[in-house]
Amino acid sequence: MPVATRNTQEVHSAATTKPRPAVRLVLERYSLLLLVIAVFIFFATWSRTHATFLTAQNLQNVAADQTPLVLVALASLFPLLCGEFDLSAGAVATMSQIAAGYSLAHGTPLPAAVAIGLGIGLVVGGINATLVTRVGVNGIITTLGMATLLTGLVTWRTGGQNIVEGIPEELTSFGSNGIAGIPALTILVVAAGLVVAYVFALTPAGRKLTMIGSNRQAAALVGIGVPKYVGSAFVVSALLASVAGITMLARNGIASPQAGGTALTLQALSAAFLGATAIRPGRFNVAGTFIAISLIAISVAGLSLAGVAGWVSDVFNGAALVVAVAASTLIGRHRTTH
Amino acid sequence: MTTKVEPALYARGVRKSFDANPALRGVDLEVARGSIHALLGGNGSGKSTLIKILAGVHTADDGSLSVHGSEIDARRANPVWAARVGLRFVHQDLGLFGTLSVGENLVAGRRYASRFGRIDWPAVRHHAGRLLDRFGIPARPEQRLDELSQAERTLVAIARALRDDEPGEAVRTVLVLDEPTSCLPADQAAWLLDALRGYAADGHTIVMVSHRLNDVVGVAHAATVLRDGQNAATLPEAEITEDRIIELIAGGQALPPRRSTAPGGASTAAGTAATLRVAGVRTGTHSSVTFECRPGEIVGIAGMLGSGRSRLLRSIFGAQDRASGTVSVGDRAIRPGSIRAAIADGIAYVPENRACDAAFPDQPIQANMSVVGIGSYWRGLRLRLRRERCDARRDSARFHIAAGGASHPLASLSGGNQQKVILARWLRTGPRVLLLDEPTQGVDVRARAEIHALIGAAAADGAVALVVSSDFAELAALCDRVLVLRGGEIVADLPRAELSEHTLTSLAAKAAAPAIPD
Repeated sequence: MPVATRNTQEVHSAATTKPRPAVRLVLERYSLLLLVIAVFIFFATWSRTHATFLTAQNLQNVAADQTPLVLVALASLFPLLCGEFDLSAGAVATMSQIAAGYSLAHGTPLPAAVAIGLGIGLVVGGINATLVTRVGVNGIITTLGMATLLTGLVTWRTGGQNIVEGIPEELTSFGSNGIAGIPALTILVVAAGLVVAYVFALTPAGRKLTMIGSNRQAAALVGIGVPKYVGSAFVVSALLASVAGITMLARNGIASPQAGGTALTLQALSAAFLGATAIRPGRFNVAGTFIAISLIAISVAGLSLAGVAGWVSDVFNGAALVVAVAASTLIGRHRTTH
Repeated sequence: MTTKVEPALYARGVRKSFDANPALRGVDLEVARGSIHALLGGNGSGKSTLIKILAGVHTADDGSLSVHGSEIDARRANPVWAARVGLRFVHQDLGLFGTLSVGENLVAGRRYASRFGRIDWPAVRHHAGRLLDRFGIPARPEQRLDELSQAERTLVAIARALRDDEPGEAVRTVLVLDEPTSCLPADQAAWLLDALRGYAADGHTIVMVSHRLNDVVGVAHAATVLRDGQNAATLPEAEITEDRIIELIAGGQALPPRRSTAPGGASTAAGTAATLRVAGVRTGTHSSVTFECRPGEIVGIAGMLGSGRSRLLRSIFGAQDRASGTVSVGDRAIRPGSIRAAIADGIAYVPENRACDAAFPDQPIQANMSVVGIGSYWRGLRLRLRRERCDARRDSARFHIAAGGASHPLASLSGGNQQKVILARWLRTGPRVLLLDEPTQGVDVRARAEIHALIGAAAADGAVALVVSSDFAELAALCDRVLVLRGGEIVADLPRAELSEHTLTSLAAKAAAPAIPD
């Protein structure tokens, strides 16, 4: 019975649909970006922060410190696009960081250590993909288990201690230097973002992931190899997360079992969801994710320069996500019901 | 009205139009107390609309309704009224909870008996046990609902609907059943119908909507047949026969105009190699089918729900593993179980359930159209989005798709326009075989005619179209040939000259063939 009612409503709404007011569209797309600019201007002028906030040193640090978060957020977008969650991305980053750090501490040359770190990502991604697409285990459960397992392995290998020996200078200088004042890590992250945005928007693979996320069963019935693409999304996610792990090593100069982990996964997912309220509202998108991370990074940096206690940043992150998603849901509802 | 006893339910002069399309043009229905009253009619006859007006889902334009003497203007009927006067509905989807116990299902939606704030399970079981006894359901309250047969589950749903009644004179409810036997094998259907006769003898009043003639003959005490939103006739028990009902459902009137290119398309192609060969493909546990279609032919598959018709299309397409049999297009045998192989060999499939199996509702119209051949827009390391949009605009114009723009989401379109987008998606690929499952279901008259024209044009280009429809008038109008499927087997292969809704209805519905779950 509801089917028929819906049909008549559809006929009705299709007949009365009006073009959406341009103002609302612009507001919906760019409000998060405007907020970023407003927050930036606020901290650049506020008496308690203006002296330190707008220095090159501070801005470089803020940007470079976001590297692992941006990479893990980009990683998470692949499974999210096809309707899956990868809760193991942050743990993969930690594991790759520790594996590379451990190898370096035991005299492995840098390229081999990096390869080991990335290899961890490939293997974990492959296991996730196999469990989800071949065995048919729910993706959330698979990656939740994997995250816990990896965290345990990290503790076993490190005993909870940082690895400080043997990190070569080539790596740490890559983590702290830059070109023309822009940190090398930031250049890396922007390049990665451009590649991911290109894959999503302009390649058949990205299109197929999007269609799978829209209606998996219909995707299978138009000949899209659903297991292949969903599996690849998990592999790419873990691989990008392991790159994030290497950048953590480069940025910090030590391999810390406390860096990354599930906390990083959750921050990345928050950023992805917050980003889905901007630029292309209702869809996961790279530009929105970058804006979301900028908002949080700038706010948290500004607040800590002002001497606000550390817990405020968590409160701010959480509140920003909930408020933005709620606002976006309300706007979206207005959109569908006119 | 000359009835001495006041009827349990009547509807008089009920009218309803959807956007200027009349669905009911003054329909009367009168149901006697303690009887089973069958409500029959073809697709679009208005029987579902009438039931929805009773339930308060649709609001009538005119007419009056009465249940047990409490009369209401049909324009003011609503779900609250329906519940208050004792109308109870059991739909095809029974609305039960498979993983819960029978007892929990029977008390669902009402307050649990409780003691000191905890659910009083002994009381729940006791109450459920009494209901099971009263309705003669061979199940225990603590059994999981999953363990019951489909017929037993239907009875559980009925018992739940009637749980507030006490049997006898004081029965206050009128039970409306929508296609209660449509998914049941013959023996279970017979058992269910027996139980319904028993309930009527206990004083319950039952209105039963059905497609199956077996449900009605020898079961119903009276039958009302609707056709084109009007009463065709109301028959007393003695006059309910298969032939009489088929005649009333189909009517003596002229069928909608047939395809103008007919039957030339098929005859010019006769003698050329068969395009589609299906041999020994399983449609059920004990049945398989074999047939051939020539290029340019539109072949209908007529069958009741459960005849294996949808399964046949899915097996040909590879969406369902076919354990045996071969499908070939031209000279090439299709690899079984591979949708990609089927598409590569020129097979297209428009599934019955658009929302679940075909639509990408949040995606733009252009992406919905291009999804099968997206690789063709991949040039110079990027998708040519502008070309994709141009093609979508061109096809929207060609297929008369009323859309605001190719970048609007599919969900912004009406059902008929969505269906045309799905059809455009496949016709773009230049298919040699079009598998269409209920291609015009839930689509208005104009869109239906346009969809028929598109199918005809594809056939004129040499494609084979295999059309499943439960609207036999549609098959008679559209097809060059119709295969009648019953119990998973082809029981008739009718050429165009012999096609009529009457023939198809009687062939597909007549015998008590066991049903195969679709």
